[in-house]
Order: sequence, then structure tokens, then C-alpha cells
Amino acid sequence: MRLLRKQINLFRYSFDCIARYKMRSIVVIVTFLIATMMVSSVLFAKDGLEREAEISVRAAPDLTLQFIRGGRIELIPISYIEVISNIEGIEKIVPRVWGYIGISNYVFTVIGIDPSQISGLEGFAIEEGRFLAKEDKKCVVVGKLLAGLLDLKVGDTIIFLSESIEAKRYQVIGIFSDQSSIYTADMIIMLIEDARDFFKIPSDYASDLLVYVNSNYIPSEVAAKMSSIPNLRVLDQDLLLRGYKTAYASRGGIFVTLWVILLIAAALISLSQMMIVGQESRFEVGLLKAFGFSTLDIIEVRLIESLVLGFFASSLGMLLGYLYVAYFNAPGLVDILLGWAFLPKQFKIPVYVSWSSIFSIYAITIIPLLITTIVPAWLNAITDPELAMRRATA
Amino acid sequence: MIEVRNITKIYNKGKPNEIVAIREINMKIEDGSIVAITGPSGCGKTTLLSIIGLILTPTYGEIIYDGESVLKFSDNWKTNFRRSKIGFIFQHINLLPQYTAIENILLPLYSMNVNPSQYMERAIELLSRLRILERAKYRVEQLSGGEQQRVAFIRALIKDPDYIFADEPTVFVDEETSRIIHGLIQELRDRGKTIVISTHDSELLKIADKVYKMASGRLL
Repeated sequence: MRLLRKQINLFRYSFDCIARYKMRSIVVIVTFLIATMMVSSVLFAKDGLEREAEISVRAAPDLTLQFIRGGRIELIPISYIEVISNIEGIEKIVPRVWGYIGISNYVFTVIGIDPSQISGLEGFAIEEGRFLAKEDKKCVVVGKLLAGLLDLKVGDTIIFLSESIEAKRYQVIGIFSDQSSIYTADMIIMLIEDARDFFKIPSDYASDLLVYVNSNYIPSEVAAKMSSIPNLRVLDQDLLLRGYKTAYASRGGIFVTLWVILLIAAALISLSQMMIVGQESRFEVGLLKAFGFSTLDIIEVRLIESLVLGFFASSLGMLLGYLYVAYFNAPGLVDILLGWAFLPKQFKIPVYVSWSSIFSIYAITIIPLLITTIVPAWLNAITDPELAMRRATA
Repeated sequence: MIEVRNITKIYNKGKPNEIVAIREINMKIEDGSIVAITGPSGCGKTTLLSIIGLILTPTYGEIIYDGESVLKFSDNWKTNFRRSKIGFIFQHINLLPQYTAIENILLPLYSMNVNPSQYMERAIELLSRLRILERAKYRVEQLSGGEQQRVAFIRALIKDPDYIFADEPTVFVDEETSRIIHGLIQELRDRGKTIVISTHDSELLKIADKVYKMASGRLL
């Protein structure tokens, strides 16, 4: 207990410093609060978007086949099913038709499927109504976003205007829930025949082919067997996930870089603050050394002070960052973060708090704070106490 | 005993603004004595006191405590020595303005393996003797210069050090308090403490066992 006593004294002194040097503490807290809030809001949104990517890929088939001509994606002939169906390991091949449709100022994705053959999509939670069945001609299941935008309910009729300027009438039989977030938000699911009719795609063509691989085979190995088939691009789930993540993270990445720059600015503010209070701090360190505080004691005091302030400010900043994105939908950031998805800004940004983000935020906020407080304290502590005090009062 | 051998302090050595603050000082300070250093302002009294008190490193020379040359030791050793053996009263008082009088008094104890609150009784006794007990919980800015000096005096004595270095300890206090401080210093000597004082106070010079006079950085 006697040996611990000094540590208790140093802890008490450190906490006293936080309370007594109010201006110093407030400047550090406010600076780091703002910096952490900015960084965490971007990181949490980026993590949320990446998680969405993973959800999207879960709904995807093992392989997606596209027809490429001149480097551009074109409709794929249904005859390709026959070409590839003999490849060992393939369980089934399902054609899919999809395209975009403009409603109001927004773009939605129309997907035509054969519900008896496709798996994955039905796994997304339906908030109202039910998923599409084979006999649901001229029926649609829509995402929450479209339902919200047009105030749709199950049983309502909706009219879409096609590119060939034809008004097509559909009945809403289901609405996806919020759980599937971005992936289903802008989706309109209908039977493949209806989609062909809407986009005027001939019955011997599809937008792409979805390949389901037998569970005893590895999709990438099956994909490799297709490499010699002309005009065929094969996308596996890893490639899709990388594509999604790149799309999300590149935007997030820009912002992380941007916020890191801001954070460095905050660290500089902190450094200048330390310089402002440097005189006061130099004098205090000199005096403590004269009393018999060792260099290590002084570093310990400053370390505790910085860690307490840093953890408090960073944790509070992260909480505010989370609230800013999760509850206030990141005003000012939403357009940039979700711009790629052509989603209206009323759409809620997905938020996910990962341990790696929390660790990164603590690391990039607390380390500069420790450096800007401990280094000057150490430099003062290794100076003769009389000189440190004299310089401080000069 | 403290021996000071050929101590020289040069500030900004080798630079155009080089100043020789003290030059080749030699002196002996017997244990349990009061030694006064006097001389005009700027003659190097504070520098000498700081060097003997191990809060300033000389450019040349040796400081010997009880037969051991201490300047060769590490910063950590000197810190430990100051912590356990030395009490300092600074010319500029040097109280921390964010703290109250009593908190300033207890501050040196925070670097020791003791509970500062156990020293409260001693602090109260010294505050009473120096007639500022009612100011114990006042913040530094609420104290007069004389009261601040008394607080600084008590702070130097709180851990009952063997060596007390006092730089102009009575310069801001009234006659009555000055007399109390003189009495306290004599009492400390009687208890075997060694006190080194830099002063112009003629009454303090009278109670000193030895007086060194300085001028232009040299002992006369």
C-alpha cells in the first residue's frame, strides 16, 4: 500500500490538473470532440455501406455471366445456357432481365426473375405482403424507398412508363423491409416475362445468366472452365464483393483521407494550445521537479491527464458521430456518401460500428494528443528546474 | 556538511550573450547551522543557492554533501535527494495559482510514498504559527504577497527536510511575521537542520552563524 501511495498521489494530481487547468482541458476536449465526431461519422457510414455490400453479395448467385462485345455489356443469348450447362459442377442456370427506370427524379432498378428458380432474394425480409410467385403476372415487389416515395401499400396499382413510351400497370404485392437496406431499397421485382415486355427484350435474350454451383464444387474452379467461351464475362461473389466494396470504400476513402487531414489540423491546434499553456506548464514542471517529482513522475502525470481527456473526448466524439449518422442521417454527408446509388437523400445511411474503426479512431486521436503533451513535458522535465521556471517567467 | 568547490556558472556558454553568473565559489556549510549569503541584486546569490540546492547544474565545480560529490550522479538521484532532503523557498514565491494555500503546501508530498492528508496537522500548526490559518483555503490570487511568502515558507518545511534553502524569505512580510520567521529558522537550526539563506534582511544576518558576502559573481 505504501508503494502504491505515490501512484495514488500522482493519479490525484493528474485529475486535479484536468479540473484546475480548465481552459487547457476544454480546448483539448472540444478540439478532439469535433475531430473524432467527423472521422467516426464517415467511418461508421463506410462500415455500414461495406456491410451492405456483403448483404448484397449474399443474395447473388455463385456466378453471374455477362455477354461482352467491344468491352461493353450486351444482352446475352439464352443459347449460352446450352453451351455451359455441360460444365461439371453446375447445378442450374437461370436467366435474369434487369434495367433502370426513372420515377420522379430518381432511378430505380427493375429486376425480372423466375421466382421458382432464383434463390437468395426471397431471403430478404418482406415488411408487408409477400414475395413474388410464378403466377404473379403484372405484379411487383418494391423496395421501401419507392413505397415511401409514392406512398404505396400492398394492393395498390402502380403505372410505370417504359422507354418505348408505354404505360404499364402493375399491382404491388409486397414491400421489402428496412432490414435489407440499400440493396432492396431501390428495387422493383417482377416476373421475367413482365420485365422482357417492359424493356422490349426478345425472349431468346436475357441481361445476364445466374449460375448456381453444386455445393461439392468450388465456384472459382467452375468459372475457370468457362474461360474459353467467347464473349463471356464471369463474375464470382468475391469479385462482386470487391466491386461493391471498392465503390463504397473509394468514396469513404476520400473522406477518411479528408478527415485525417482535419485531424492533423486538430492535432496542430492541440499543439498550439500546448504552446499557449506551455509557459504555465513549463513553470509547473520546473516547480514539481524542484520538489522532487522525477521526470517519470511528470510524464506519468501528463500521460494520465492526456489519456483521460483523450478517451473522454474521443468516446464522446464517436457517440456524437454515431448519432449524427444514425439518427440525423448525416446532413451534409448523405449526398456524397450515397451519390453512387442514385438514392434520394431521404434514404437512411446504413451505420455499422466495427471494433477496427473504434480502435483506429482512438489511435488517430489519442496518439497525437499524447505526443503533443508528453514530449514538451519530457523536454521540460530534463531541464534544470531553476532554468525551466526562469524561462517560464521570463 | 556541504562543501562548495570552485563553482562557476556560465549562462549561454560560447554564445554572444554569454554571462558568467558566478565564478569559482568555494564555501563550507556546517550541518545544523544558518549560513547567510548577502550582496547586491544580480550578484549571483540565487544562482549559487540554486546550484547548492541541486536545482541548477553549474558549468564547473563540485558540490559535496557529507563527503560525497553529488553532481556526478544522475538526474534521478538528484531528484530523489531533493525529494527527501531539501526544502526550497523561492525568491519569486512560485505558488501554483490554480491551487489554494493548503493545497500548495501539500504539493511536494505528492511525489512521495505518503498520504498528504496525514501531514495536515503539521500544515495547520505551521499555518497557525505564521498567522495565516484562516487563509488556508484561499486561492493564491486571494492572498497578499506576504501571505503567499508565508505559504511558500510552510511548503518548504512540510516534509521536514534536512536542508532548507531560502531565497529572500522575508522580503514581502511585515515586521511581526518577519520576527516569527526568524524564530522559526532559529528553531530549525536548534533541531539540527541546515539553513542557507540569501538575504538583505539585517535581522536575519544577525542570527546567521556565518555570512558570505558576494559581488559580481564572486565571494568577497
